Amino acid sequence: MRVEQVASLEGHSDPVWCCAWSSDGNTLATCGTDKSIRLWTEQDHEWVCGTILSDGHSRTIRRVSWSPCGNMLASCSFDGTVCVWTKKDGEFECSVTLEGHENEVKSAEFSPSGRYLATCSRDKTVWIWEQGGTDDFECVSVQSCHTQDVKCVRWHPNEDILASASYDNSINFYKDEGDDWACDFTATGHDSTVWSIAFDREGDKLVSGSDDQTLRMWKRYHAGNQAGISPSWKCISTIQGYHTRPVYDVSWCHLTGLIASGCGDNKLRIFAPDPEQQVDCHTADAPNFIQAASLDAHRQDVNCVKWNPTRAGILASAGDDEVVKLWKVFDYEIPI
Amino acid sequence: MAAAGFSSALKISDLNDFITPSQECIKPVTVEKQKKGLGSIRIGDDTDDLTLETPKIQRVQITLNDCLACSGCITSAESVLITQQSTDELLRILSESADRHIVVSIAPQARASFAAKYNVSYRSAGYRLRSFLKKLGVKEVLDTSFARNFTLIETKREFLKRYKEDRSRLPMLSSACPGFVCYIEKTHGEAILPFLSHVRSPQQVMGSFVKTFLGSKLSIAPDKLYHVTVMPCFDKKLEASRDDFFNEVTQSKDVDCVITPVELEELMLKQNVVFTDLEDTEESPSGQFALEHCYQHKGSGSGGFGEYVFTSAVRELFGEEVPFCDFKTLRNKDFTEVMFTRGDQVLLRVAICNGFRNIQNIVQRIKRGTCNYDFIEVMACPSGCLNGGAQLRPNEESPKELLDRVVELFKESQQSGGRSPDSDSAVDELYRDWIADRAERLLHTKYKAVAKSTSGFTVKW
Amino acid sequence: MVLNLGFGSFQLENAAPQVFATVKDRPVTAAELDDAIEDPIDAREVFDLIRDINDPEHPLTLEQLKVVAEELVTVDPATRVIKVMFTPTIPHCSMATLIGLCIRVKLMRSLPREFKIDLMITPGKHDQERAINKQLQDKERVAAALENPNLLSVVNKCIAEPEY
Repeated sequence: MRVEQVASLEGHSDPVWCCAWSSDGNTLATCGTDKSIRLWTEQDHEWVCGTILSDGHSRTIRRVSWSPCGNMLASCSFDGTVCVWTKKDGEFECSVTLEGHENEVKSAEFSPSGRYLATCSRDKTVWIWEQGGTDDFECVSVQSCHTQDVKCVRWHPNEDILASASYDNSINFYKDEGDDWACDFTATGHDSTVWSIAFDREGDKLVSGSDDQTLRMWKRYHAGNQAGISPSWKCISTIQGYHTRPVYDVSWCHLTGLIASGCGDNKLRIFAPDPEQQVDCHTADAPNFIQAASLDAHRQDVNCVKWNPTRAGILASAGDDEVVKLWKVFDYEIPI
Repeated sequence: MAAAGFSSALKISDLNDFITPSQECIKPVTVEKQKKGLGSIRIGDDTDDLTLETPKIQRVQITLNDCLACSGCITSAESVLITQQSTDELLRILSESADRHIVVSIAPQARASFAAKYNVSYRSAGYRLRSFLKKLGVKEVLDTSFARNFTLIETKREFLKRYKEDRSRLPMLSSACPGFVCYIEKTHGEAILPFLSHVRSPQQVMGSFVKTFLGSKLSIAPDKLYHVTVMPCFDKKLEASRDDFFNEVTQSKDVDCVITPVELEELMLKQNVVFTDLEDTEESPSGQFALEHCYQHKGSGSGGFGEYVFTSAVRELFGEEVPFCDFKTLRNKDFTEVMFTRGDQVLLRVAICNGFRNIQNIVQRIKRGTCNYDFIEVMACPSGCLNGGAQLRPNEESPKELLDRVVELFKESQQSGGRSPDSDSAVDELYRDWIADRAERLLHTKYKAVAKSTSGFTVKW
Repeated sequence: MVLNLGFGSFQLENAAPQVFATVKDRPVTAAELDDAIEDPIDAREVFDLIRDINDPEHPLTLEQLKVVAEELVTVDPATRVIKVMFTPTIPHCSMATLIGLCIRVKLMRSLPREFKIDLMITPGKHDQERAINKQLQDKERVAAALENPNLLSVVNKCIAEPEY
C-alpha cells in the first residue's frame, strides 16, 4: 500500500480540530480554534476554500457534521452551543442555535436517517434532538449514562442507534425505546479516555481510539445469536504497540474497509485486515488488523481523520499545525 | 451513589468532577479576600527541618442556605444535606427533646409508594406509617393533601390575575417542584423567573399551617414545635431550607426536616421493623389533615395543578364547565396538553410537562417567544412526583412495574376522581380563621437568580 | 442549623508552607553564546521557564516552594517529549490542578509548538494524583479551560514575569 499527500489546505489560523466530508464527498468542512468553519471544494484539480462561516460561535468550534441531504451543517463549540447552518440561496446561514448543555459541546452528529441530531458535552450528558418545524430542533432525550466528560457521539450507519465515547473510559450504546431513549449497553475495556469511535459499513463492528494508545474493535452480538451471547458489544481485537501518544480520531472507510487513525505523535496510520489471516474479516470473531501505513502527516498532533464517503482511498486529516491535508491510498486491493 | 434521591434537573446543573465537599465548596475561598495577614513564613534552605507554629485554625461554617445561594457545587452538597436532614437527625431530635412536640406530615405520593411496594391499601399504608412514627415518639401524624387546597386556589387566583392584567408573563409555570425552581434560578434566572408562579408548594403551605396555626391551636410554643415532612424526593429538603421559609416571628423553619420513603424504609430496617407487621389502626379523624380522609385532589399524581387551573380558568373566563380534562400526549407521555376551543378558535392551552428533556424544550420556546401555552404544570421527574427520586425502590420487579402500581394505586385512592378546593366549606373556614388577610405572607414566596461565580480559582474545567 | 466542615486555616489551606532557597544561575558556555549553533532544549532550560511561576496562594515561586525542581524535568530530544513532574506542597492541595495548568501554559507559550509536554504530579504526592494527572494531560480540557476568561486571568497572573 502506498499513501501520498494530495493537497495541503491552509487558511485556518489556529489548530484545526475537525474535518467532515459531505455525503456526496465533494465538500470538506473544517473547523477549529479560530472560531470559523471553512468549506473546501475541488476546482480545476485544486482544493480551495469557497466559504468561511464565522460569527456562529464565541469559542473554539470543536466539530462539524453534515446532514445527509447536504443542506445543513451542525457545528458544536466550547461556548456550549450548537449552531445549525442551513443552505439558503446557495449560502449557509446560522438558522438556529441550540442551547441547553451546561458547558463545552464536544460532538454533534446528524443521524444517517436525517431524523436526529446527537450532541454530547463535558457536562456528562448526551442529548438527542429532532427537527420540529423549519429551523427548530426539539430535545427528545437527555441521557446521563456517563460519569465523566463525553467526547464523541456517532450514529450507526443503518439504524437509529447511537454510540458515545467518554473520559470515563467507556462506550455507551443507546436506542429508542418508544417513549424515551435508553442506554442498553456499556462497553468497557479501554484503560483511559475513549476519544473517538467509528462503525463499519454494516454497523456490526465498531472501532475505538483511546488515550491509552490503542485501538479496540468491538463486535455486535444480537439477541439469540449462535454464540448464545445477549445483545451486547464485545471487544474482539486490540491494536496496540503502534501508537506512541493518545489516539484522537478513528475513521472506518465504508468503501474499502480500511481504518485510519490520527494520533498525538503527529502520525496518520492506516490499518487493514491481515492478508495472511484466512478468515472473512467481516464475520470473524477475532479479525486481525495490521498497520498498513504510517505517515508523518502533520508537524503536531493529528486531531481528525475522515475517509471520503464516495471516493475510495481519499482521506482528510486535520492537525494542531493549522493545516488540513488530503491523502490518497494507492495499490490496495479490497479483500472480497 | 449519593446522587440518587434528587431529580436529574439538579444533578445536571452541576459542573464538577467527583471531588469531596471540602475541596468543592467555594465559600471559604470567597471569604478569603476579606481577611488580611498571613501566617509567618521563615526562609531556610532545604536541609532545615522547619516546623513553624501553625496559625490558629478557625472553623468555617456552611449552612444549607449557602449551598442554595451558591453555584459552586450542588451534588457535593448532597452529603451536607443528607447529614443535616435525615432520619438520624430526626432520631436525635426525638431523643434529645422529650418535651418537643413533633409533627410529621406525609405527602400522598410517599404514602402511595409504601402502599404499592408492600401491597397494602393506600389507607392502610398511611396508618402503618403513623404507628411506626408514633412508636418513635412522634406526637402527631398528618396528611399534607389538605394544604394543597391553598396552593391550588392561590395558583388559580394568580393565573387569572396574570391572564387579565399581564399576558406577557404567560405561560405561568407552576413552582411546586423545587428541582425545577432551583434549576431555573441557577441556569435561566433572568429569562424564566418572571414566568414562575409565586405560590408556595403544598409542603411549605403545610409548614406555614403547622407553625402558625396548629401550634397555637394545640397551645404549643413555636420553639417546642418540630415539623417533619415525608416527601418523595430529596429536592424537597432544599426547598425546606430556603431563607424565605424561615419564619422570623417563630424564629424557626416552617419545615424543620424533610425525610423520604427510602430513608424511612432504611430506618425501619435498622430497627428491625417489618412494615407489613405494623398496626393499621383507624382513629377518629381529628381535623382536615387526618390520614383517615385519604384526601386526594383531581388530576395528576403531582397534585393536579394543570387540571385545576384549566377547569377554573375555563369556568371563570369563558363561563363553561369542563367535566373531564382530556390531556393528550404529545411528543412523549411526559408532555401532555389540554385545550379549550370554541369553534375552531383555541382559547386556552394548558400543558403538563415532566422531566428534564421536556423542561428544556419549554425553556427554549419561552426564550424564543414561541411558547403558546397559558399555564404549565412543571415537574422535574419523568412521570411526576409519583416517580420522585426518593420513592421506594423495587425488590424483585422492575422500576417500571412498581411505578405502574404506584400510579394505579394513587388513581384508585382518588375515589370518584378526587376532590376540588371549590365549594369546600372546610377550606373556606381555614381561609377565614387562619389565612385571613395574610395570604401574601403565608402562601406566597420569592425567587432569586443565582449569580455565577466569577472567581478564576473555582472554575471547573 | 449549621455544619462545621472544618477547613483548617480560614483563608489558606497551607498557611505555613516550607520555603526553599533557589538554585544558582548556571554558567553560560561558549557554545550557547554562539548564535550559529542551535541550542537543544534541556531540562535546565525547561526548569528556568517554570521556576518563577508564582504560586496562586502564596507570594512565592514554585521553585521556592519546591513544587518544581530541575531533577523533576526530563527532556527526550529525539521524540521531543518533555516530562515535568511537580510536587504540591501538601497531599490534598486544592490548587494542584491550577498549578499544573500554569506550568503547562507557561511551557506551551515559551517552547516551540512541536514539543510534547507530559505533566504529572510527582508520584505519591497527592491524594487525587491520578484524577489530576488525567485532567492536566487532556489537551481538549486544557484548551477549553483556557478559553474561560476568569481562569485565564488567574493563570496569567501566576505566570506573569516579575518586574525587576
